[in-house]
Amino acid sequence: MAGASAADIRGILSLPENAAPGPSQMRKPPTKKPEGIPRELYALIGPSAPTMIAQPAKPRFKQKPNLGGGGSVRWEERPFKNPARTDGLVLKHWVKASVDPNEDYPFVKYNVKGPIYNYTSEEYVRLLEDSSWTKEETDYLFSLVKEFDSRFYVVSDRYDFPGGRPRSMEWHCQDLKDRYYSVCRKLVRSRPWSGDDASKAQLLSSLQFDKDREVTRKKYLDSLENRTPEETAEEEALYIELKRLEQTERRFKLEREELLRTLLGVESGLPGLPFEEEGPLGDPRKRKRIMEHDSATPPSASTPIQPRRVLPQMPQQSASSAQYDQLHCIFRPDPRMIVPSKSAHNIAYLRSGKMPYPKQSVAAKVTQVLTELDVQQTRLVMPTRENLLAYESLIEAATQLVEAKKVSDRLDQDIRVAKQRLGLRESAGETQERGEGSTQETVPMEQDEEDGGGQDGQRAGSVASSRSVKSRRTSQRRSLSVSSVDTMGAGRAQKRQKLS
Amino acid sequence: MVQYGGDEVSALVLDIGTSSTRAGYAGDDTPKAIIPTTYGFVRDGGPDAPMDGTDAPSTKMYVGQHGPSVWRANMEIGNPMQDGMIADWKPIPALIGHALRDVLRVNPEEHPVLVTEPAWNTPENRERMAELMFEEFHVPAFYIANTGVLNAFAAGKGSALVVDIGRSTASVTPVVDGFVLRKGLAHSGLPQLVHAQARNILQGAAGGPIRLLSHQLIASKTPVEPRAAPIFTLREDRLAQTPASLLRHYESIAADEWLQSVAGVLDQGWNEQAAASRPLKQHEFATGFNTYFAGERFAAGELLFSHTRELAAANPQLPHTLPALLSRALAATDQDMRGVLLTNIVLTGGGSMLAGVGERLLTELQRNVPHVKIHAPGNPTERRYGGWLGGSILASLGTFHQLWISREEWQEHGKSIVGQRCK
Repeated sequence: MAGASAADIRGILSLPENAAPGPSQMRKPPTKKPEGIPRELYALIGPSAPTMIAQPAKPRFKQKPNLGGGGSVRWEERPFKNPARTDGLVLKHWVKASVDPNEDYPFVKYNVKGPIYNYTSEEYVRLLEDSSWTKEETDYLFSLVKEFDSRFYVVSDRYDFPGGRPRSMEWHCQDLKDRYYSVCRKLVRSRPWSGDDASKAQLLSSLQFDKDREVTRKKYLDSLENRTPEETAEEEALYIELKRLEQTERRFKLEREELLRTLLGVESGLPGLPFEEEGPLGDPRKRKRIMEHDSATPPSASTPIQPRRVLPQMPQQSASSAQYDQLHCIFRPDPRMIVPSKSAHNIAYLRSGKMPYPKQSVAAKVTQVLTELDVQQTRLVMPTRENLLAYESLIEAATQLVEAKKVSDRLDQDIRVAKQRLGLRESAGETQERGEGSTQETVPMEQDEEDGGGQDGQRAGSVASSRSVKSRRTSQRRSLSVSSVDTMGAGRAQKRQKLS
Repeated sequence: MVQYGGDEVSALVLDIGTSSTRAGYAGDDTPKAIIPTTYGFVRDGGPDAPMDGTDAPSTKMYVGQHGPSVWRANMEIGNPMQDGMIADWKPIPALIGHALRDVLRVNPEEHPVLVTEPAWNTPENRERMAELMFEEFHVPAFYIANTGVLNAFAAGKGSALVVDIGRSTASVTPVVDGFVLRKGLAHSGLPQLVHAQARNILQGAAGGPIRLLSHQLIASKTPVEPRAAPIFTLREDRLAQTPASLLRHYESIAADEWLQSVAGVLDQGWNEQAAASRPLKQHEFATGFNTYFAGERFAAGELLFSHTRELAAANPQLPHTLPALLSRALAATDQDMRGVLLTNIVLTGGGSMLAGVGERLLTELQRNVPHVKIHAPGNPTERRYGGWLGGSILASLGTFHQLWISREEWQEHGKSIVGQRCK
């Protein structure tokens, strides 16, 4: 070890190797030390190790800015001529001495002119005659357009044809444009074209000018500008109203769709079906059940889609089962109306044990309405199917009522705000009508609430009628479906009791 | 170099206004020579010499910073400008010569010169200016540019509606792509009316008319309490030798000072209560008299925007107000242009420095038009010398140098070249 370290030290100090062979002699051939490894480390690990060591690259710093370090720049004042000039004006400017004096003036490239159309007098006679334009005036127009680089605003501003038309009949900007472009179009069409058809068509379309449209547009702009502040304010208010209505519409639509989906699930597209009909055998949802159970069992409604399978056998034939059902007051809802529940196992329970509850958000108000109607909200004394249905529709109606009241209140508030905004100057025009329309909409709802004292059904109906027919149907369906699920449970329970 | 498009050829820019004449190098941001356009002159025969305009060659003219502002016996005061245009060409060579040779200390024969003109300048006037520059000052190249366009350039805009309130004239100039739309041009002598009103207010001030004198005529004064009678001694010797025009000049300077330091414009329209509720402002005159001004300090500036019914009834020839000028200018321009112009309003000119003018203009415009944008430079130099600044920018552009009217062209084509080149 000692010998080795001595050799190492020698190596480190780059002293000539002594003749005595040592272990470090292996490294003796001058292999080049790789970049990034300290010399001392290299002397220890030797040339074989580098693969093990990450070779750190030299840190790269941002390049130092070159602040014109090449000494001072020489500038000289040089005379120059602008090639765009026809005369020999020589101006002087300061340039870097390094710039080639024979170089073109750098600003020449900005001196560009648009395409200029010219015509001969023969062409004018042949093509360009126009009853309201003389050749002299057309010439004048073309010279102006050339002078002002097709800036027609300026051309029409400076247009002052000597011996021209009286002031009242002065050309407008669009007249000048029309004349100029029509002449150019005619020229392009009549002259031989060197390029292809596409480029010609493109050029022609770029020279297209519709004067009538321009005139209409300007008239429209004028009328837009001449609106009174009241008109502008009304327009603004109408616009805001429109936006709001659109938003409400969209929300309603979304809500309705969501409701439909919640209520009917995949079936939401199906129309209502008669209850006592046997489900078709081919129904895929029932196939599973059939496979599991006795295939002879008719796919009756008593066994719904899912889990309650350990049930007493149902009457085999549909006719006899109907008879039986009727006799025992068994009501079988359409299986397709049943929303499959998520849980895998549902215990049988009495329908009367499951009271419908109003939505959480409106529960307090609905409860209040029910209290006003003297309806007990605990357990029904006679929880029959009909009673439950009625009770449920009552709750439904009350909910709808409360919601309608909310909507009406909101509309009232909106109308008041809108009226304030439009102010007292509002004419008896459109806005008023709109205002009245919306109040009319809300008034009957309020009446509903007031006269809906006793008859729940009527009330529900009237409230529902203020909504669309479709929504009413969905509400019916909802009550049906909910009750059907539960009555089924109840029916089963009854049956079980009977069996036992 | 090419990136910013500048190529300086050491051109000079000369902007002659009613109150001051500005001259300097193109490419600078401030004119180096600012001298009053007003000049003093002493007739050889004394104050009683005939005033028929045919002045004897011995009439001594005093121009520059030490011209009219220095009291000289029997020195009268003249101003060559009228309605923003040069009306009296006699003192113009002296003024230009003084600005270029004595203040800038340049030899005009070595520098191209860009001169400004109001948009309503006559062709004769601009040709005469070209003649003056070529024949008297022997400039190598000349160009005459429009102050409206130059003010738009100074604001960095090619298209703008330039509202320029100067010393004698207020103008509204629609500029599109660097060209003035002449049909939309509107101007009036509104600032003169404001000035006259300021004098009226000072003459009719509570506690008797305020004497508008200049310090040149006052030998000594003693500080006094506000509203107290001034204690001062006049320089009677001078007063005897002060002609009426010089007295008027002193008065107008005093009125202008009052306007500049005290007057303002209510930014929400005229309202006695609002004017009265503004804080008082003190102003001391040359005599030592000092007092506080309340509501009346807004009355003069208000004339820029509205005339009272009595005033309008008494003077049917009243200059148009700024809103009237603006609406006239806009009505005469193309519908398509109005939007562009209204969002590029450039407020410029020394007269627009009156406190609150920009805000008030915005209020007035917003009453009728929904989208308005006013560009009003906050820097007083930019505001007062906008025309010169635009000229400085224009004459230092590399692309501009093809537009100069050279001496050669002048000799070849004569006066007609001016109208052809300077559109």
